[in-house]
Amino acid sequence: MKFYKPTSLPSLFQFIETVENKKYFLAGGTDINVQIKNGMIKDGTVIFINHLQELKGIRKVNNDIIIGALTSYQDILKSDLIKSHLPWFGKSLRFFASPQLQSMATIGGNIANGSPTADVLPLLLVLDARLKIMAKSKIREVPCNEFFTGYKKNILKRNELIGAVMIPMNAEQDYQIYYNKVASRRALTIAKLALAGMMKIKGGKIEQIKLGAGALNEYPRRLKSVEEYLTGKQIDRIEVLGIEDILKSEITPISDLRSEKEYRFQVTLNLIIDFINAQKNN
Amino acid sequence: MKKVRKVDAIPKLDGSFRFVDDYPDTGMIHGFLYYARVDHGRIRKIILPTEFDLTEFTIVKANDIPGENIVPEPENDQPFMVKQEIFHYGQIIMGIAHPERKIVKQFCQQIQIEYEELPAIIDVKDCLENENNAFGKEITIDHRKHEPVAENWIKTSAVYYTPHQEQAYLETQAMIAEFDPDQKSMFIRGTMQCPYFVKAAVESIMGNKINKVVVETSEGIGGAFGGKEDFPNIIAGITALLSFKSGKTVKTVMDRSDDIAITTKRHPSRIEIESWTDPKSRRIKKINIDYRLDAGAYQTLSPVVLARGVLHSYGAYHLEDAYIKGRLFRSNTPSNGAFRGFGAPQAFFGIESHIEDIATKLKIDPAEFRTINLLKPGNRMPSNQVIKEDSLEKCLELVLKKSNYKIRKSEYEEFNKTNPDKKGIGTAICFHGGGYTGNGEKVLKSEVKLLIDSDEIVRIFVANTDMGQGAYTTLAQMVSEGLDHPLEKTITQVPNTSLAPDSGPTVASRTIYIVGNLLKELAEEIKSNLQGSSLSEHIRHNPQAYPQEYHRTFTPDPSISFDEETYQGVGYKDYSWAACVTEVYYHASTYQLEVTKIWNVLEIGKPVNLGIAEGQVQGGNIQALGYALSEFFYKRNHGRMHGFTDYSLPTTFDIPEIDIEFINTESDLAKGLGEIPMNYPAAAIRNALAHAMGIHLSEIPLIPERIYSFLKERS
Amino acid sequence: MKISFNLNGKDISLETDPMRRLLDIIREDLGLKGTKESCGEGECGACTILLDGKPVTSCIVNAIHAEGKKIQTVEAIAQTLEGKLLIECFDEANAVQCGFCFPGFLVAAYYYLISDGEPELKKIKNALSGNICRCTGYTKIFEAVINACHRKNEIRG
Repeated sequence: MKFYKPTSLPSLFQFIETVENKKYFLAGGTDINVQIKNGMIKDGTVIFINHLQELKGIRKVNNDIIIGALTSYQDILKSDLIKSHLPWFGKSLRFFASPQLQSMATIGGNIANGSPTADVLPLLLVLDARLKIMAKSKIREVPCNEFFTGYKKNILKRNELIGAVMIPMNAEQDYQIYYNKVASRRALTIAKLALAGMMKIKGGKIEQIKLGAGALNEYPRRLKSVEEYLTGKQIDRIEVLGIEDILKSEITPISDLRSEKEYRFQVTLNLIIDFINAQKNN
Repeated sequence: MKKVRKVDAIPKLDGSFRFVDDYPDTGMIHGFLYYARVDHGRIRKIILPTEFDLTEFTIVKANDIPGENIVPEPENDQPFMVKQEIFHYGQIIMGIAHPERKIVKQFCQQIQIEYEELPAIIDVKDCLENENNAFGKEITIDHRKHEPVAENWIKTSAVYYTPHQEQAYLETQAMIAEFDPDQKSMFIRGTMQCPYFVKAAVESIMGNKINKVVVETSEGIGGAFGGKEDFPNIIAGITALLSFKSGKTVKTVMDRSDDIAITTKRHPSRIEIESWTDPKSRRIKKINIDYRLDAGAYQTLSPVVLARGVLHSYGAYHLEDAYIKGRLFRSNTPSNGAFRGFGAPQAFFGIESHIEDIATKLKIDPAEFRTINLLKPGNRMPSNQVIKEDSLEKCLELVLKKSNYKIRKSEYEEFNKTNPDKKGIGTAICFHGGGYTGNGEKVLKSEVKLLIDSDEIVRIFVANTDMGQGAYTTLAQMVSEGLDHPLEKTITQVPNTSLAPDSGPTVASRTIYIVGNLLKELAEEIKSNLQGSSLSEHIRHNPQAYPQEYHRTFTPDPSISFDEETYQGVGYKDYSWAACVTEVYYHASTYQLEVTKIWNVLEIGKPVNLGIAEGQVQGGNIQALGYALSEFFYKRNHGRMHGFTDYSLPTTFDIPEIDIEFINTESDLAKGLGEIPMNYPAAAIRNALAHAMGIHLSEIPLIPERIYSFLKERS
Repeated sequence: MKISFNLNGKDISLETDPMRRLLDIIREDLGLKGTKESCGEGECGACTILLDGKPVTSCIVNAIHAEGKKIQTVEAIAQTLEGKLLIECFDEANAVQCGFCFPGFLVAAYYYLISDGEPELKKIKNALSGNICRCTGYTKIFEAVINACHRKNEIRG
């Protein structure tokens, strides 16, 4: 495998133009190195980027919290900005992987790796996060829920990379929140399924609801049809069967070494109901 | 009872303790076991990658073996390497070595083999459901009364299944072999439980090409739990052959993904139990047990697992009319082997679940039902062995008291009436026979040696290894106490077959019970011959008499015997006993089961070292927790697990509170402890779920998918 | 490629493949055998070291990640006051069985002790959630770390 360490962001973009074969951006290495060990990555060019300071750090700019793509999960969990503006986001990630993996794993790497089980994505989807996509002479923004197009497929062009994750500063304000990652154990584990939810209730009705699902489709998705179905409904008059029907068309869980599709489906339904029921008591 | 610190703790903690891969390795070349990737088949063609300089590699195959291509095992049916036909995925085709570890790995990744595939049985149920797959050893215990079944007796029958379990020792299998062409000798260093087994294996494969084999374990053995009882024979044999052929010292360290894929696992089991219970007396009147183990492709040590499994399959109950049949079944999977409990965890999952099922059917409290039916002094086991002690009854009584069983049970039932989440409490009782089954210890004839030198150090020479269970410490304590000599001056030597006699393998909960007690007797005898002076004094006054070597050989109790045909007699001279209560919390939305507390009460005679003993119970409990809740190695249609990412071991967040108490600790006799804490928790957890949810699952692990599926089918 | 870093207080420079595993550099090139390999995929914590003061699983960290950074392995951590306190507490609690996982636990526990150190079981479980032990069932490990947290103020006077 070839290796390249750019001295700067511009030289990185310069170099990308010249790479013909498969290229891999090496950030924290927590995904790539496992894939190299398993023989899934054998040839191509590894481009080291973890030293590029411009892509690190968490800042508040206008009304957004901007998390550099190369910010480690440990830094996200420690960040005062996250603690004060996006506390639920931070709290939901506290058992992510393990402390050792949190030190190295970056949010950009996690997203770009494209695993449908990535813990952070359901959260970003309901927080209406956007991704800053960078190229040599262009920066564009893509809403998180438009980033993926298929299993491990995304809208990044050959010469682009994720530069930052942007979350509206008050994304959590005034919302009832829910996050549950179901796995074989609590830490150091890949999700069987994950559900993130945000809801606004007014006068006993669901004024707005956002549901982000992980490990239930080819890529993490908002459950738009379920959201639509639930919006405007009386919170204590919601029919489980109604949700179940719509959910069937929204998620395509699979059976694999880790879990079964019927289980994944039923638990997702249960968690949505739990989320709704929790609001009845408020 | 002492809480004595372990003698080898500090170097383990600061990282200076040497495991196999830590020894200086300049000049060593790196070995690799290349294995088959089909379940059953023949090799048509081997294509070695051409981009490498083949002269740099040493390659050995079956036809390079100068001795016997048979791994010495209780049943000698497994070859070191494939001859023509491959009988399981993971069977070794060749050993390959190269000066650079990275290169030998790359080389192996690029080898291409053309296979002719043959039909294979790999699914556990496909194996165990079909009686045509039965092979090898069969054991029958016929303790029948031939009385008719009374009309009012209640029949209960079920089939229980347990899966493979991976030992997951943190240090993978590893061996170093050094051939000395001048001496025609082979030196082996490695991570293992049984140095003399490894010696026999290397002698077998090398035949008359070597005159002498010396095996020494590494200073540290990074966990074993049974997984390093026989697989080391294969890795040592092939590494030795590589050393012989290359003329270099060879080190083979297995990669975790290979270790998980091909080394021995706990036998999956199918246990069918049929029983008849008198509802009036609430006694089990008659029981039939069909105990089946998936042995894999070869028997190897499965006959011994079967023996212990069968003798534990009837549980700790007074059964006057019992018929037990134990059989091995063949499949195209790697030969299964030893793992803590050795057939007993499977057995107790079966019988303890069954007891619960009977009690529930009869609407009797399961703990009460156990109290009525358990073995009391004077009762006979189906093997006809008479039980003398009342330890079991005491253990159960105490654990029920400590856990406030009755109060908790009704509290949880109250809670469950109005909550979707559920709480449950479950019990299990068990025993574990110490030492080799039946006449095994007589046949083993273990020998121990003490060397006392003028430096006042007492050196203990045994073949038993410390794989974390604290053997170096506990054996030293037993000798130190027997001699009344300072512990700091009593040192267990790292096992070396040229220095230590064969005190038998480090298995079967025998290290303290057989070897320790033998050492203690020897120490006490030496002391009694000192005529009142301390050993140190004696050495100082009689320096010319030292160094002195002392030996002692195990003498079996002539009053006991065991019939290997009928399985009647004294299966084990002494049993350790235990009772357990577990408490669980069931999460309704996700169908997940969480264990919140485990209470253990055990009778193991005198605990030599309380801290070490507690550690054994905690460690065994958590391995059983994994067995019960999350560990499974193979899934139909999805294949095998490849590493720790897939195979779900308990981590810090999964650990419940564990309460431990030992009774009868004033006893003179120290009995076995290593395995028993693994035997009972899985069933107790399953029984707690039965209490919480009213569902009686007959298969572990109790993964949420299984619970969900059961509930769905029921409704 | 030339990679330079500070290891246990000493400046090191070596010529190596930038993708070479940091674990191999530590064990093979630098001969420090305290850090262990058990799973090779960051799933067990046996290879834990501190990289710029943060715990990482060195089996999935590349040489290039170490460039210009400070690395501490178990050998150095065992010599610190907090490291020694932890070792004493583990020893006292009889918390070590086979010992293979322990260097990793020591590094992770050390990091917890100096960055937080609250004697709270849930926090300790989280701090050690990336370390697997198969022998002990973890219980005595928790006891040892809690005890060290209670005692940590004694050691720095």
